Amino acid sequence: MSIREKLLDFKRRLADRKMYSIVVVVIAAVAMWGIYQYKHAANLRQELDNQYNRAFYDMTGYVNNVEVLLIKALISSTPSKTAATLQEAWRQANLAQTNLGQLPVSQPVLANTSKFLTQVGDLAYSINNQSMDGKKLTEEQYKLIEKLHGYSVSLEQSLNDLQNQLTAGRIKWKDLANKGTKLFQKASKQMPNEQFENIDKTFQDYPTLIYDGPFSDHLTSVEPKGLTGDNISSEKAKESIIKFFGKDKVEAVTDIGKDDSSTIKTYSFNVTFKNAPKGQEAKVDVTQKGGHILWMLHNRPVNEEKINMDQAKEFGKKFLEEHGYENMVDTYYLKEDNTAVINYAYSQNNVVVYPDLIKVKVALDNGEVVGFESKGYLSSHFERDIPAPKISLEEARALITSRMEILSTGLAIIPTDYKTELFTYEFKGKLNDRDFLVYINAETGKEEKILMIIDTPNGILTM
Amino acid sequence: MKTVKVMVVLVIVFSIALSLIFDGQVFITPIAEKLVPGIESEDVEKVQQRLKNWGYYDGNVTGKYDLKTYLAVMDFQRVYGLPVNGIASGDTLEKMGLTTFAQSGAAMAAASRVSDEQLLARAINGEARGEIYEGQVAVGAVILNRTRDPKFPKTIAGVIYQPGAFTAVSDGQINVPIDPKSTVVKAARDALNGWDPTNGCLYYWNPATATSKWIWSRKIVKKIGKHYFGI
Repeated sequence: MSIREKLLDFKRRLADRKMYSIVVVVIAAVAMWGIYQYKHAANLRQELDNQYNRAFYDMTGYVNNVEVLLIKALISSTPSKTAATLQEAWRQANLAQTNLGQLPVSQPVLANTSKFLTQVGDLAYSINNQSMDGKKLTEEQYKLIEKLHGYSVSLEQSLNDLQNQLTAGRIKWKDLANKGTKLFQKASKQMPNEQFENIDKTFQDYPTLIYDGPFSDHLTSVEPKGLTGDNISSEKAKESIIKFFGKDKVEAVTDIGKDDSSTIKTYSFNVTFKNAPKGQEAKVDVTQKGGHILWMLHNRPVNEEKINMDQAKEFGKKFLEEHGYENMVDTYYLKEDNTAVINYAYSQNNVVVYPDLIKVKVALDNGEVVGFESKGYLSSHFERDIPAPKISLEEARALITSRMEILSTGLAIIPTDYKTELFTYEFKGKLNDRDFLVYINAETGKEEKILMIIDTPNGILTM
Repeated sequence: MKTVKVMVVLVIVFSIALSLIFDGQVFITPIAEKLVPGIESEDVEKVQQRLKNWGYYDGNVTGKYDLKTYLAVMDFQRVYGLPVNGIASGDTLEKMGLTTFAQSGAAMAAASRVSDEQLLARAINGEARGEIYEGQVAVGAVILNRTRDPKFPKTIAGVIYQPGAFTAVSDGQINVPIDPKSTVVKAARDALNGWDPTNGCLYYWNPATATSKWIWSRKIVKKIGKHYFGI
């Protein structure tokens, strides 16, 4: 049968009424399937829209609360009331920031708003801690809160304005959210993003905030204390890498660029090894100042575990000593993929200095060091002038709950969240079958920090 | 006309079934096939903790399946009408609510918890599974750096699922099962352990495919593999 005949045959068959109805049914079925899919998609979109609305209304509510709480903190006259108010402001600001992160607005658009909310919360928390110690607001802090309150008022106003537009249906999230296709990209450039940009403009002249908290502005530019030595050339840096791995192991060191923008400026290198398959290379960053190894990662598979943790710790310590890092003591470790990541802290006259941290990754098949990270050490290490403790060990011990059975004691310098240091007594003890570390300030007797030790087959961690 | 009606019904049923199949299936399975007296594991610990909370067990949570645990499991089975044999089988574990989600056919069935490590590994898998090892660690490090920056959400999940932040999340690549031979889990661990090949970067982009003009306003710090990293 030729094609022509086939077509004619098909036409004839369609002419039969029964066949027509089948074609109609098929078309109807496809249409129904389409309608079902469309409705399904519309429902999902609506659900998403509702989530975005919820996040936005919640955020607006939290910002309103923050504004009120900040002004209340200024009015309250007793430190305990100030503390309670600021604690609530901290909580509400955090919730506002969390909800902000769920809005379908691209991150740079609301970056400053997000930063503002984080810092308000952070600052409130930091002052809350101070107020709980019974201290009143300083004049400086009062002015700072006043300033932040001003910003929160403007933010509140723009948000309320936007909320009205949203309620009136003039802003649709889907215009913002659907960025997947070219068609929607055009739509997304329109109004809504601009509205949000206006909000962020509130913070155009937002001041640099310096206070005792982890998100304070001064922390990003702290001068690294352990970065000693002169500026070196990339050739010199190459030499220090060969020394780091050992001349007999290294095949070639390739310069792959440098980083001039970070606080710790570096040269980057790729290192290949003798008798190693292709791809099993190491990447190293060497500091431009002093030629210290900032970090090293050697990606090679480690398939068996031949040495135990005690031997691994010895290998790590020996490695550190050979490379000029004296008096390092191992603290915590983690065992994964037949490698152990061991944290070594500097010890000065039997005081463990936790901020001066070096992480060494030891392969458990032959004890080779396959990873190295010394940012903590380079950022904070220097020979400290450690004073004699003002309170005695017995006095400090008396401050610890009698429910804890104390296993060992020592002196330690611990870091705070905002990169300052505290001189403390370290008590290791047991309570309800759990191990804890409790730090008592050696100068004031204040209970500074409690860590829970998690001892798993894979390592010792703190929380 | 009767045949027509039957066909209409058939087509509707078929289309609905089709859409359900495409949605993918999720099963709930117990955390272990079965736990027997004498063994020692984290799963036993979980059983003991639950039984202790509900008052069946008064010993310590040790992870050892000892006599006390055995008797407690028997008590539990008696109350819930399960075969009383002191062995924490799949049924018993399910009754205790000790279950895990497993996706059919996915290699990830073994993953018992969606922890930070797993989530980070999945994000790296979605964003950079074809990259060199250091590039994978770098992507993980950027996510972690964001959690410490005031301009971004504070948690790993918050950063990863921030709308529009990562293409791998928007297009579902993050849900691609992790190849057991892939290095992404190792990379996630290195990132969590503090290795940061980017020295503190907050953004990265592929110069060949980046569509956003804005991203080019970032200061480029480094190039690792195919990605530019910037602040």
